[in-house]
Amino acid sequence: MTRTLLRHMSLLALGWIPVSTLSAQVNSPAMVTYRAVVDLAGGPLRFSMSLGADSSRLCNGSHCDRLPAPMVSGDSIHINIPDYAATISAVQRHDSLIGAYHNVGNRGPRVIPFRASRGTWPVEPAPSGLIGRWNATYTQDEKTSRRVLEFRNAPAGLEGTVISNTGDYGLFWGRAEADSFSMGHFDGSFVYMLTGRLDGDTLRGIFHAGIRTQTPWAAVRAGSEPWLKQPTELTSADTSEVFHFSFPDPEGKTWTEKDPRFRNKVVLVDIFGTWCPTCHDAAPVLTRLYDRYHSRGLEIVGLAYEVSGDPAIDGKQVQLYRAKFGIQFPLLIAGINDTEAAAATLPQLQGFVSFPTSIFLGRDGKIRLVHAGFYGPSMGAAHQQLIAEFEKTIETLLAH
Amino acid sequence: MRLILLGLLIISGTLSAQVPASLVEERSAFAAWLTTAPNSPLIARAFAPIGDGIHIGPDEANVPFPGVDARIREEHGVISLSGSLGARTLPRNRLVTSGPLALFISGTPGHSVVTVYGGPRLEKVPTYFPLDRSLVFTGPMLPVSPRTIRILTIDGLETDATEVGSVAVPDGASSIRLRVYRIVDPGSEEAELTIYFRDGTSGKGSYPAGRFVTLEPVSNGNYRLDMNRARNPFCAYSSAYPCPAPWSGNTLTTRIEAGERYDHEPSSPQKQSRP
Repeated sequence: MTRTLLRHMSLLALGWIPVSTLSAQVNSPAMVTYRAVVDLAGGPLRFSMSLGADSSRLCNGSHCDRLPAPMVSGDSIHINIPDYAATISAVQRHDSLIGAYHNVGNRGPRVIPFRASRGTWPVEPAPSGLIGRWNATYTQDEKTSRRVLEFRNAPAGLEGTVISNTGDYGLFWGRAEADSFSMGHFDGSFVYMLTGRLDGDTLRGIFHAGIRTQTPWAAVRAGSEPWLKQPTELTSADTSEVFHFSFPDPEGKTWTEKDPRFRNKVVLVDIFGTWCPTCHDAAPVLTRLYDRYHSRGLEIVGLAYEVSGDPAIDGKQVQLYRAKFGIQFPLLIAGINDTEAAAATLPQLQGFVSFPTSIFLGRDGKIRLVHAGFYGPSMGAAHQQLIAEFEKTIETLLAH
Repeated sequence: MRLILLGLLIISGTLSAQVPASLVEERSAFAAWLTTAPNSPLIARAFAPIGDGIHIGPDEANVPFPGVDARIREEHGVISLSGSLGARTLPRNRLVTSGPLALFISGTPGHSVVTVYGGPRLEKVPTYFPLDRSLVFTGPMLPVSPRTIRILTIDGLETDATEVGSVAVPDGASSIRLRVYRIVDPGSEEAELTIYFRDGTSGKGSYPAGRFVTLEPVSNGNYRLDMNRARNPFCAYSSAYPCPAPWSGNTLTTRIEAGERYDHEPSSPQKQSRP
């Protein structure tokens, strides 16, 4: 029985009822949209929620995630975020909701105040001086680290993302006013907010993680030199031998590189986890590549590194992921999402750092390219460029 | 020093016995977590370095637990579980439930620690001093050149922490500068500015080894220190946990009658009886 189902049952025991069963109370299947915030120490992180009889949606600008229908009891409302064992609980006051976001922490509950009111956020585009790519330096305790910040104006207003050496942090959405801006990413697990101000040619601000962590940064316009390490520089590999793997699929069949399915094929090995939001961004791209190139000799195999280590639990998660994206290639349960444990199952890789990581094998089964991380759709042009690079790599390998 | 003290505004406001809603919610969520969470300190059975291996089993095992016969080993940084709880790899910094137990691996390769949870829950409820709004301070932090040391966190884990500065608070007729450390939560970008302090109530109404409180950034580079949010280390709930040593210099002479109280000796994890 899943944890989510158990939680639903315990809520029902307390008198909580799924909205979908309250036909007398909910007359219209239409979604009601709320302007929502979680209140961080450094200010409100804005996002949108839509609540309906059959489902809910949590949106950062143009990107929305579907959630189960809210549960209601009297004037209380409870929204489950099953992917992250998290909840939003609130009390309804007229057109407003006031409550808190919760998930289970290691040292006590992780609780962040939540509030929402009916309506939609105004679209507040950013000045042209902000739009584009910026090379940022984060500074904390005299240590520095690099990020790239991207800003653009979209129909929903200011959108962008934060990029590190191993990928992007998902879509950020927010607002700008004069020379200042604030944009956030709240997906039920990650709580990130970027605030800043244009100061001459320099952008300065704070990166907020969770309710209290604040990291100062300064950024200048990106030039032609790369600011971050290239994704292909992060992980090196033993290219002298055939890439070995031997892992079971969720149905219990063990697959190895010797399976006839992979013989004399170009193989893309996708190291992923069903818990990894960036992997969810990558999955539709991989299925499109598979549809396009399979008949010409491309195979894909996904190696899942999961949360529990229990084959029964992890197998179900992988089956759900396979169904969600309509994946036709094998997904194998390779281990748990611990960097050392994952690296131990892949001794031919050195410097394994990122989920997802894509390994391209030639028709001889040897590693030709390792690409750490993935640029999701929130990266705009970089996302398209990455797809083009993957296609070029596959075309080149298929031709040999 | 006087300037610093002037910079530290004591929020006196209107004194009221009413605890703010956010503090009520915070305490109620913590009480619920203690009574329901699979990693609650009230069901902590053991906190053990894995070293050459850990045996969870009958009375003579490293971690006695009736009805279980399992081993935890580390090899090349990878932690594995075998025996009656099944064979699997255990991730770091993530709770894994297995049969009647929950296991949490922390530390770094070669210095891994397992916390074992399960069995009967200790019956303890956190208690608090009445709200004292005069013990909410707002002011600047005086930075120091960052210095990294090894400390124990509120749950007994050994970790690197960076000393980032100090805050001055009144201490009777004088003042004291309390050291502030940044403690990063493993596996996330989130960190807390933390103060571990002792005061006149330590061992006389509050936990003898001291209490933890976090420093919250507010506007204009200032920070809020709310002593009503002071928490006991987990060793106050169960002797399964190692107890952090007090931080040198962080001892107030006055009684800070705010935050979590401590009225009893810490309980030993209850001996398991055979079913």
